[in-house]
Amino acid sequence: MLQHDVLIVGSGLAGMRAALEVSQDPGIDVAILTKVHPLRSHSGAAQGGIAASLGNSSDDDSWELHMYDTVKGGDFLVDQNAAEILGREAPENIFELEHMGCAFSRMDDGRIAQRRFGGHTAPRAVYAADRTGHALLTVLFEQLLKRGVKVYSEWYALDLVIRDNTCQGLVAYDILSGGIEAIQAKAVMFATGGYGRTFRITTNAFASTGDGVVMAYRAGIPLQDMEFVQFHPTGLQGSGILLSEAARGEGAHLVNAQGKRFMEDYAPGRMELAPRDIVARAEQSEIDAGRGVTEKGDSVFMDLRPIGEQRIRYALPSVMHLARDFVGLDPIQDPIPIQPTAHYSMGGIPCDVDGQVRLKDQDDAPITGFYAAGECSCVSVHGANRLGTNSLLEAVVFGRRTGRAIRDQVRDLAPTSISEGEMQPAVAEVDRFIRGDGSESVGAIRADLRDVMMDKCGVFREAGQLQECLSDVKDLQARFAKSRIDDRGTIFNTDLLDAIELGHMLEFSEVITVGAINRTESRGGHARRDYPTRDDEQWFKHTLAYRDDDGPRLTYSAVNMAPRHREAYPPEERKY
Amino acid sequence: MPTQRFLIDRYDPADDRAYEQEFSVDYEPGQTVLDCLNIIRWEQDGTLSLRMSCRHAICGSCAVKINGRSGLACQTQVPAAADRGDPIRIGPQGNQTVIKDLVVDSHKFMEQFERAETWLQPHEGQEPPVREYRQDKDEFDHWQHASTCIHCGACYSDCTVAAVDPKFLGPAALAKAYRFVMDSRDSRKQERLEALSRMHGGIWDCTRCFMCVEACPKDVLPMDAIMELRTEAIQAGVTNNHGTRHHKAFAGGVAKRGRLDEATLPILSAGFGPGAIPEMLGYTPGAIRMLKSRKLIAAARRHGASKEGRREIRRLFDEVADEKHHHDVNREAFGTQYAEALRT
Repeated sequence: MLQHDVLIVGSGLAGMRAALEVSQDPGIDVAILTKVHPLRSHSGAAQGGIAASLGNSSDDDSWELHMYDTVKGGDFLVDQNAAEILGREAPENIFELEHMGCAFSRMDDGRIAQRRFGGHTAPRAVYAADRTGHALLTVLFEQLLKRGVKVYSEWYALDLVIRDNTCQGLVAYDILSGGIEAIQAKAVMFATGGYGRTFRITTNAFASTGDGVVMAYRAGIPLQDMEFVQFHPTGLQGSGILLSEAARGEGAHLVNAQGKRFMEDYAPGRMELAPRDIVARAEQSEIDAGRGVTEKGDSVFMDLRPIGEQRIRYALPSVMHLARDFVGLDPIQDPIPIQPTAHYSMGGIPCDVDGQVRLKDQDDAPITGFYAAGECSCVSVHGANRLGTNSLLEAVVFGRRTGRAIRDQVRDLAPTSISEGEMQPAVAEVDRFIRGDGSESVGAIRADLRDVMMDKCGVFREAGQLQECLSDVKDLQARFAKSRIDDRGTIFNTDLLDAIELGHMLEFSEVITVGAINRTESRGGHARRDYPTRDDEQWFKHTLAYRDDDGPRLTYSAVNMAPRHREAYPPEERKY
Repeated sequence: MPTQRFLIDRYDPADDRAYEQEFSVDYEPGQTVLDCLNIIRWEQDGTLSLRMSCRHAICGSCAVKINGRSGLACQTQVPAAADRGDPIRIGPQGNQTVIKDLVVDSHKFMEQFERAETWLQPHEGQEPPVREYRQDKDEFDHWQHASTCIHCGACYSDCTVAAVDPKFLGPAALAKAYRFVMDSRDSRKQERLEALSRMHGGIWDCTRCFMCVEACPKDVLPMDAIMELRTEAIQAGVTNNHGTRHHKAFAGGVAKRGRLDEATLPILSAGFGPGAIPEMLGYTPGAIRMLKSRKLIAAARRHGASKEGRREIRRLFDEVADEKHHHDVNREAFGTQYAEALRT
C-alpha cells in the first residue's frame, strides 16, 4: 500500500501552488497525482490574464473595487468573505509568481503590464501576451522540479475513501501498468478542474470531465451551485475553441449579420466588455433572431481589425494563430465567426476560504483531511458568473491558502487506513469494462449527452426543455450501464479511461439539470426564459445537491455576507 | 463529406507486436488530424491509444509523426497533410521508446529540463523587491519567444543529434536554458553558460540542421536560441572548451588559409588541458585511416587557396558577419513572422 502525508490530486495551477506551499516544510511527505503530465493541465489553456489591483496602468484601482466587481459580476451569489480575500491577496500572489520567474509582459518602464477585461472597472489583467495560463503553469512546474516534489504522472484517481466524515485516501489506477493501488494520506486535496466537457461546444480540454467533483459526490459530499455554467462569448465557430477575451480587452468589436455592433442594445455602458454571461446571451439572442453569420447562422463576427496589425501580432499572437490554424482566417484582415461556448464551472465541491471541504449544512461540518481548490471547488468566489481573469487568480490564491492550511494542520491529523472492502467499488468499476460484455458504444453515448446538454441546458433554459434534458440524461445513464469498450489491455488503455470519464459526465450532468430545473429565476450563468429576472426573495441562496439512490436531493444554504475588512455589498440591480 | 485514408503505426505491448493499420475516415471540412484519430477511436477501433487534451495547440500532448515529420495532430488540417490521394501516415514520436501505438515514454525528454536546471535561480541572500522586479521591455521581447515552449517534444522527436546521442540535452531544454540565461532576474548566467558549454550534450553538440525550428509548433526557434547561447558564452569568456576551440580553429583556419586544415583542427580543438592527451589518443584510429587514404598527407601539405581566393573568402566572412547582424535585427523586428517564414 502506498502512503503519503499529503496527496494532491490534479496538477494545474491550484494543485501545484498548494504543493509548493506544503513542500516548504521538508518534514511533510507530499505527492501530486495527475491523469496527465503536469505541463498538460488545462490551466495552461487560459489566455487573457490574471486579475490583481496592482494599479500599474491606472491609479484608480483598489482591492475593494476588485471585490465589488467580482460580487456584481457573480450576480451577488458570491460569498463576500471569499471575494474579499481574492481582491486583497491578489497583488502579493502576482509579485510572488513574478519573483519565481514568470514571463509576464512588461510596460515601457519595466513594470508588469495590465490590460482591460470584461466586468472589471480598471485595467487589472496581468498578462503574458495571450498565453497567461501557460506562463503560470510553466513557472509553477519549474518550482516543483526545483524542489523535487514527487509526482504520480499519468495516474487516474478512481475513488475517494471517506469514513466517519474523515478522509482516508484514494484508490488510483496507474495508466502505464493498469494496476489499481490504494494510496493512504492524512490529507487529500482535490484540484481536479472543471466539468465543461459535457457540452457539445466547449473550450474545455478532453480531460475536463469533472472526475473530482463526482468522486466527492459519490463519497457523500454535496455538490454546490452546479447549475451555474459559464458560456464564454468567443469560441471559434464549430469547435468552440477559445479566442481570448483579451481580444475584446484590446478593442475587438462584436458584429451581427447586419454589420451592427449589437452590444449597444444589451450593455451600452460597457459594450463588448460586459461580463461574459451578458455578452454570451446577447450573441445567442442575435443568433436566435436570425441575425447570425456564416451558412449555419449559428455565430456572430468578432472583428479584430480595429486593434491594428502591429498590436495584434504583439499582444494577441495565439488568437491570430488559432484563427489561422482552425478556421483558416486571418484576423488582421477578416472578421472571425464566433459562438457561445461552455467554458467554466462555477459550481463544485463546497469548501471554506482555506480549502477545507465542508458540508455547509446547519453545523457546517468539515470533512476531516479533505480539501479542495480551483475550478473543482466552490468557495464560492464566483457566485453565479465568473469574471474573466479571476479563475487563474482563484487557483493561485486559494491553492496557496489551502497548501498553507494543510501544512499547518497535517501533523495533527490521525493516521488513516483503506480496507480491501473500500477498494472494491473502484476495482469493480474497472472490471466491468475489462471483463464486461455490454453492447452500447461509449463514443455514441457521449456524443448524445453533449448534444442533449448543449441544446436543452445551454445558454438559455426553460422548464419543458430541462425536463426533457433530465429524462434524456437518465436514458443515457441506462444505456451506459450496458456499454462496452474495445480495449481489454492493461497498458495505456485510453478506451477504459474514456468510459470511466463518461460515467462521471453522466452523473454530474444530472446534478446540473436538476439544479437548473429547481432554480426558478435567472441569475448570472443560469438564464431561464420562463423566469427571466433575478428573484432575491426566493433564490438568494446556494444550491447543495446530495446523492440519493433515486437522484440528487437538493438543500440550500445562505450566501456569506460577512467580509472582515469592510461592509458587505448588498444585492443591487445588475446593469452595465 | 470528404473521405481520407490513414496509415497508422500500431504497437501492441501485450505481445510485443508492431504493425501498420489502415483506416478510412469521413470528416467534416475544418476537422483536424486529431479529430480524425478520435473518429477512429470512438467509431472504429477503441484500442488505438494516443495522448491528447486541449485540442488547440497549447497543452503539447498530441505531438506525433505526420508523414514522417513531427507535429501536433490537433494543429494539422487534414487537407494540409493529404497528398494526392495517398493515406496520411501517422506514427509515434522518434528518439523515444514506444509504449503503445502513438504513446511514447517521454521521461528521457522531460529529464533534460532537470539536467539543464531550467528554473529561476534568484540572487541568493538578497531579498526580492516588495513589488515586481523591473524588467526591461526590450529584454523581455528579446527572449520571450523561448518561453512559448509547450514541451510537446516535436523538436526532440526530429532532432538529428538526439537520434545518435541520448545525452544531448535537445532543442527544447536548451531553448529553455537560454531563456534563463537571458533573464535579468536570474543570478547564474555565468555558471549556466559554463555548464552548458562544458557538459556532454550541451550547446556545442548541436549540428545546426534546422529540424527543430521546422518541427516546433510554436515560435520557440530552438536552434536560434542555441546559437545565441554560443555567442553569449564566448562573449562571457567561456572559451576554454572543445566547442569554442573547434569553432575558432575551423573558422580561423578557413579565414587564414582559405581551406579547412584537417591536420591541425583536432589538435587545436583538443587544446592543452589535462583532457587533451586522451582526446588525441582517441583520434588516433581515425588519423591512421586518414593517413592510409592519403587524406591527412594532403592536408599536411597545406594547400592554401590562391591570393585572390583568400581575398574572396575574407570578403565572404565579412558579409556573413554583417548578415548575422541583419538576422538579429530582423528577428526582433518581425518576431513571429520570422518564425513562420522559417517554418514554411
